[in-house]
Parts: sequence; structure tokens; C-alpha cells
Amino acid sequence: MIKVENLYKEFELSKQQRKELATEEKIAVAVKSISFECKPGKVFSLLGPNGAGKTTTLRMISTIFAPTKGNITIDGIDAVKEPQEARKKIGFLTGSTGLYFRLTPNELIDYFAGLYNVSKVDLEKRKAHLYDLLNMHDFQNKRIGKLSTGMKQKVSICRTMIHNPEVVVFDEPTSGLDVITAENIIKLIKDCKEQGKTVIFSSHIMSEVDLLCDDMAIIHKGQLLYNDSMENFRKSMKAENLTAEFIRIVNESNNIS
Amino acid sequence: MIFKIFKKELKDSLRDRRTLMSMLVIPIILFPIIINLIMFITKELSDEVANKELKIGMVGDPNNKIFKELQALPDEMGKKKIVFFKDTLTMIEAVKNDSIQLATFVPKNIETTLDSLKTVPLIVYHNGADVGMMERAEVYMNTIDQKTKSERLAKLNIDETKITPFFTTYRNVASDKEMFGKLAGGMLPYIFIIFGFIGCMYPAIDLFTGEKERGTIETLLTTPVSRLQILFGKMGVVVLSGITASTCSLLGLFLSLQTLDFGPNIEIMEIANSILSFQFIILLYALLIPLTIFFAGILIPICIYAKSFKEAQSIIAPLNILIILPAMVALTPGVELTLITACIPIVNIALATKDLIAGTLDYGLVAISFCVMVVFALIAVMISYQRFGKENSVIN
Repeated sequence: MIKVENLYKEFELSKQQRKELATEEKIAVAVKSISFECKPGKVFSLLGPNGAGKTTTLRMISTIFAPTKGNITIDGIDAVKEPQEARKKIGFLTGSTGLYFRLTPNELIDYFAGLYNVSKVDLEKRKAHLYDLLNMHDFQNKRIGKLSTGMKQKVSICRTMIHNPEVVVFDEPTSGLDVITAENIIKLIKDCKEQGKTVIFSSHIMSEVDLLCDDMAIIHKGQLLYNDSMENFRKSMKAENLTAEFIRIVNESNNIS
Repeated sequence: MIFKIFKKELKDSLRDRRTLMSMLVIPIILFPIIINLIMFITKELSDEVANKELKIGMVGDPNNKIFKELQALPDEMGKKKIVFFKDTLTMIEAVKNDSIQLATFVPKNIETTLDSLKTVPLIVYHNGADVGMMERAEVYMNTIDQKTKSERLAKLNIDETKITPFFTTYRNVASDKEMFGKLAGGMLPYIFIIFGFIGCMYPAIDLFTGEKERGTIETLLTTPVSRLQILFGKMGVVVLSGITASTCSLLGLFLSLQTLDFGPNIEIMEIANSILSFQFIILLYALLIPLTIFFAGILIPICIYAKSFKEAQSIIAPLNILIILPAMVALTPGVELTLITACIPIVNIALATKDLIAGTLDYGLVAISFCVMVVFALIAVMISYQRFGKENSVIN
């Protein structure tokens, strides 16, 4: 379960950043008072165009960033006050894999299991299960740098799931991946849902959202424009398809502001 | 947890070719290569000078006194051939274009002047760009001058001791070890300071800027490990790499001394062996460890701040000069470890090591140097921690 209340994040801009953004402002607000809830056994999608504040929100949920204001609760743990406790419950996966290329998949998985204090027995059991599921046995001892993008993504999935997290955070997990590789991620999200885990993922691909999510929120310029179930979104659609409706909501917000 | 991170980062770093080069390969092979090269060039040059037949130009009578004396000098003092010229201008021109190396004009009445116990003015022409030629001329002329002086004294029936009021001998009471420490000892801290810094540099860039650039830091920060533990684990590898590089550079230097043939200077090896005592090594590492932590502490905030490998390198490159300058102080004669210099980081370690090698160590000043370095290292670690805690710095 993830509970986000009045989440607010501002960043201090350096001189260089002010110059790049052509602004005089010393502070940039990335997320403005957003609230939503992700329930166990359900997939929650955070939708928004580039620069909407999706990654910042997910980084705050994953405790990489501390919110300027607001509360985040992960499985009953206050993630702002006890970030290290909250992290034990979270699995985090990005499209950029974030792997150490000079290590082998086996070394990497053992390392992360160690960081999560996974016992040896649990590690071997989970490793065997995940290697079978993702068909990783053949390349488990090859250097990650020499693996294909698909193989790397499998290693990344294995790393995310090795401590059996209750909450799984996916930041644009399929971005830059081919359809076959992206399929592994989609399968993982479905598996997590079946296992009763809380899943949140960010995307700007409507077809993916349509396929996977139960609840969704649209975020634009750091503000929440929509937050309801996917079913209600479909019912209340004014445009002819999901992508057109998403664009309509974003454009409408642009016109208002 | 710190050890888990340290172990992984060490494994990762040891698989990085750049780190391996800066930590192990370059420090070990550089000194044997440099020293062997210098020895080879020096030997070649001195052999060339010794074997080269010197052409000495002369304007004067064919059988004059200088000509005869020069001819009488043994070949062990260097082979030579005397060439006569008709005029001084052509002779000087020949010195300029190196067809002859030395030249002199011998006055016609030289024998008469010498017999009348007067002084003969002689000008010896040499080309300053032709190194060592003036020294050869000085050796020849001193020998001829001394011989002529003895002949005159004998002619005058004067005992040479009567016109020599003092016979001064200068005796050095400093031990060979002390002399070696004061003269060459400055090189040692200079070497390990430079290599210690370079050894820290690549792992620091790879483990901080590299992680940021490759996006791996993001996943690491989602694990239930505190930033302090991550920082210490990584810093441990940076420090170890710096110490390993310093050790390898000293090892390389020692090995090159072992394998070289110093000929008459064989005592260098004995001095080097006597310096390398257990106490020396312990004290050296006691100074080296806080120094390397200090290096890691100043490199890490830069590496955290930099967005790319290239940016980190471009910021650190000028920093190399800032590190070299205080290290060079130890090479300057007359600069000693005092209460003031003991408080200047890097300078204090360089001077303390110099004294350590010479065996003229003031333990009080070394303790001050150590404490100052520990304080600076702690400040540097605190700055690193503060920088590593900044969200904007850690993630691109």
C-alpha cells in the first residue's frame, strides 16, 4: 500500500540551471501538492508528458528524494521519517537498468541481496525461481556489460525482486526497449499484481496503461489533473480513444493555466 | 554493510583498466623505466665524452711549451689532437662550428716569459653549448699549471710547504643515511604524494561520477543502506587505491635500485636497506594514511558535483598542481619541519618523511603533523558526507 498526501517538492536552482532554464527564479517547483493511493493487488499508473514530475514523485516514494512537504506511507511505514525502513519494502526499477557492467548477474544479485539482508537460504531459493522464470541460467556468470539489452533488463528485474518487495516502483520501465524485452516487464507487472503486491509505474504510453493498470493519475507541470480508476476514466472519456483523451486533459490544463 | 559495499566496489574497481593502471601498473613500472633510462643516457653521454677525441686548436709556435705539455698528458685524461691554425679568427670560428672543441693562442715568447718567472696570459676558447668542454680544459690547464709551479719552486729552491700555510681537509660528520635523507629524501615524499593522489583519482571518479553517469547510484540509494555507509564503503576503496599506488611507487623505486649497477656508489643500496626498517614503514604509513584520506576527502566532493567523467577530470587536472606544489617544498633545501610547517597539510607530511629517512625525526613535530593531517582528513570526510547527502549533487 502506498499513500501519498499533499506531496510537494521544490529544488534550489544553481546559477547554471537558472541560465539553462532562462529564469530568474531561485526555486523550481517539481511537484505541487499531489495526493493519491495505490492499493495492494492493484496496478497504479502515473501518466504524464515529459517533465511532468513523474520521476520526481517516484523518487520521493522510493525515498531517493525527501519531499519538501507532505507525507508518504509505504505499507504503514512513514517513508519521510523512516526512509531506511520503508526501503526494505520497496523494489525499484527504471528503464535505464542501473546495473554494474563489470559484475556478473550472479555477483550483482548476491550484492543487492546482501544490501537487503536477505538470508542465504532465501537468496538461493529466490535466485533459482527468478533464474528459471526469466531464463537467466545461461548468462548468470557473464559480465553484464557483454549482455544484450534484453538480458540486462532480465538482470534488472531479478535485482528488483530478489528481496521480495511488497511495493514495486517502476519508472518508465519499458522506455527504450523493444517489444520483446518490454514484454518481460509487462509480465513482471502482471505477476506482481497476482501476488498481491502494490505496483506503481510511470509511463506516457497509453496502450501500456490500458493493458495493465487498475487505477491511474495524470500529472502535468507537477499538478494532479486526474485521479480515479481506469474503468471510470474509460467511462468519462470525451475523446475517441485513450491517447486522445490523455492529450485533451493535458491541453485543457494548459489552456486554464 | 560498509564492508559489503567496500568489497563490491573493490571488485568493480579492480576490473576497471584505468584504475588498475593508475593504482598498480604505472607506479610499479614508472620508476624502473625512468631510472634505467636516466642511467643509460648518463652512461652513454659520459662514455661518449670520455671516448671522444678532443680537437684543440692552437695558434703559436709548433713546438711551444703548452703544446709539449698537452702532448705529454696521458690518454686516461681524455684523448686529444692538437690542430694548428694560422690566425685566431679562423680558430674561433672553428670552435663555433664545432670542428674543434677548445682553442688557445700561445704567445711567441712563452718560454722566455716563463723562464723570467712571469705570468703568461692565456685565453682558452670553448663553446658553452658543448657541455663539459670547459671542465676538460680546466683539468688540462690545472695539471700543466701545477707542474710548472712545482718546476719554478724547485728552481727557486723553495720548499712547497713553506708557501702553503694551511692544508685544509673537510670531513663530513653526517651519516650516509642522513646525507641521503637530506639530499635525496625529498624525492620520496614527492613520489608518494603524487602517486597517492593519482591512485585516489580514478576510483573516486569511477565510483562517484561514474555511478551517477551510468545511473546505478539511483538503484543503490533505494536499498536500506544509509548514505554514510555507502560513502564509507566507497571511500575505503578510494583510500586503499591511493595507498596501494604509493606503496607500488615505492616498491618500483626500491626494485629499480636493487636491479641497477651503481658501480662505485654501491653504498646507496646499503643506505636504502638500512632506511627500510620496520619502524620506518610503520611511521611512513602512519603519515600516509591520513594524507590519503585527506586526498579522498577532497576528490570525492568534486566527483559528486561533476556530472560526467570528463567534467570530473577537467576539474581535478588543475588540482594536481595544487598538490604538487606543497610536495615540492620538501625538495627545497633549507625548508625544515618546524611548528609552522607541521601545521601546513601535505607540506608537513613531505617534510616529516624527509626527516624520517634522514633519521633526524622530532617525534613531537611528527605527532603535530599527524594530528593536523587527521583533522584535515576529518574535515574533508565531513565535506564529502555533506555533498553526498545533497539530492541535486548525487543524481543527475
